Amino acid sequence: MGFGDYLARRWEDIVLLGIGHLQVVLIAVGIAAVIAIVLGSLVAGHPAASRPVLAITGTMLTIPSFALFGLLIPLFGLGVTPSVVALVLYAIFPIVRNTVTGLEAVPPEVLDAARGMGLGSVRRLVVVRLPLAWPVILTGIRLATLMNVGIAAIAAAVNGPGLGKLIFDGLARIGGANALNDTLAGVLGVAVLALVLDLLFLGLVRMTTSRGLR
Amino acid sequence: MTTPTQPLPRRITPANVLVTPLVLLAALGALFWYLSGLELDDIERRSINADTILTHLWEHVELVAVSSVLVIVIAVPLGVLLTRPALRLVTPPLLGLANIGQAIPSIGILVLLAVTVGIGFDKAVLALVALAMLPVLRNTMIGVSTVDKSLIDAARGMGLTRTTVLLRVELPLAVPVILAGVRIALILNVSSATLATYTNAGGLGTLIATGVTLNRLPVLITGSVLTAVLALTVDWLAGLAEAALRPRGI
Repeated sequence: MGFGDYLARRWEDIVLLGIGHLQVVLIAVGIAAVIAIVLGSLVAGHPAASRPVLAITGTMLTIPSFALFGLLIPLFGLGVTPSVVALVLYAIFPIVRNTVTGLEAVPPEVLDAARGMGLGSVRRLVVVRLPLAWPVILTGIRLATLMNVGIAAIAAAVNGPGLGKLIFDGLARIGGANALNDTLAGVLGVAVLALVLDLLFLGLVRMTTSRGLR
Repeated sequence: MTTPTQPLPRRITPANVLVTPLVLLAALGALFWYLSGLELDDIERRSINADTILTHLWEHVELVAVSSVLVIVIAVPLGVLLTRPALRLVTPPLLGLANIGQAIPSIGILVLLAVTVGIGFDKAVLALVALAMLPVLRNTMIGVSTVDKSLIDAARGMGLTRTTVLLRVELPLAVPVILAGVRIALILNVSSATLATYTNAGGLGTLIATGVTLNRLPVLITGSVLTAVLALTVDWLAGLAEAALRPRGI
């Protein structure tokens, strides 16, 4: 069966797996973004705090994903939960780093002006600093998302959801009729998903950037 | 795994030179303590014994070493070549292509090669090389092409030939950026080699996969902890090498 016929026959399954893939990635990045932006806001401007935070979250990226999934199984069992937790752990570093960088790049004069207008530290953060840092933070979120789309393919090894299942199906059927079709569908599905998300982020940057920065 | 695109910011101080090995030793100690408190069954003993573990560790190191050397030998000269004036036109489309290729997951490349070409050590090395090429290639190109043009002019003005300028000025100045790329490639290779077990090329991933398939937590934990410790050790060594090999004066 050619790849075209295969796609015609299996497209519903592939789309379902793709949606599952997208869901774990987006849930994980969403959770990671909340954690990372709060963490980044707390430590930005305090090198004594931000350096260890960046070192520890950065070290997470060094740990091979298959090993991290493995370490999470004793805690969370197989399936969706360890997959989401692993993806959250990987996604925190790029977002925290960019939050810190973005917040520290806000010009001090702007902060002085905000203080002069009587804004307290929380309102300065929410109304002035975070909106100014947002394009940089969003770049971090985009990086984390694209990275997670690839890592999520390995989740299938621990019974997680997503397009990785097709790749492992192909592996299990090596020599069989549809081995190549399954694998190709999984690999191309992941690549297409990454490409689509990348384009969506381009739109999101335009939509959510404060008007004064455009 | 996918690529962290930038080298992690780390400085060499006595503290962080020592902290990493101490943490890793503590992790190994904890693993040993955990295992020694267990009654292992037959299946677990088949995986958790010094012989098996060392074999898998060696397979893993071999996969990483061979593919990393190949990546450096191929990607550094290629990267330099692509920055030469004659080839500068093909560089942007090539980088664009490479960036799209980066979206393809490591397990995908490994299995695609396994399905089309076959399984085993050689094919796994091929997949690892393909996966780790990009960071070294990109960093070599960035490192060489961002060397200050006035330095090149000065060297040419002193009467050095283009080749001498490349070898004596451009490459040494690009070394830190190239090394950062090599370090990323090493970490990527340790990570992808974990999955090589699925294409019959062994490695520490074998323990993790066995643990998952046979539902044996001790095997799973042993494999995962050892893999993580190996990755962090390689990263630590690469960091030290990066600091030591940096040309003086930069």
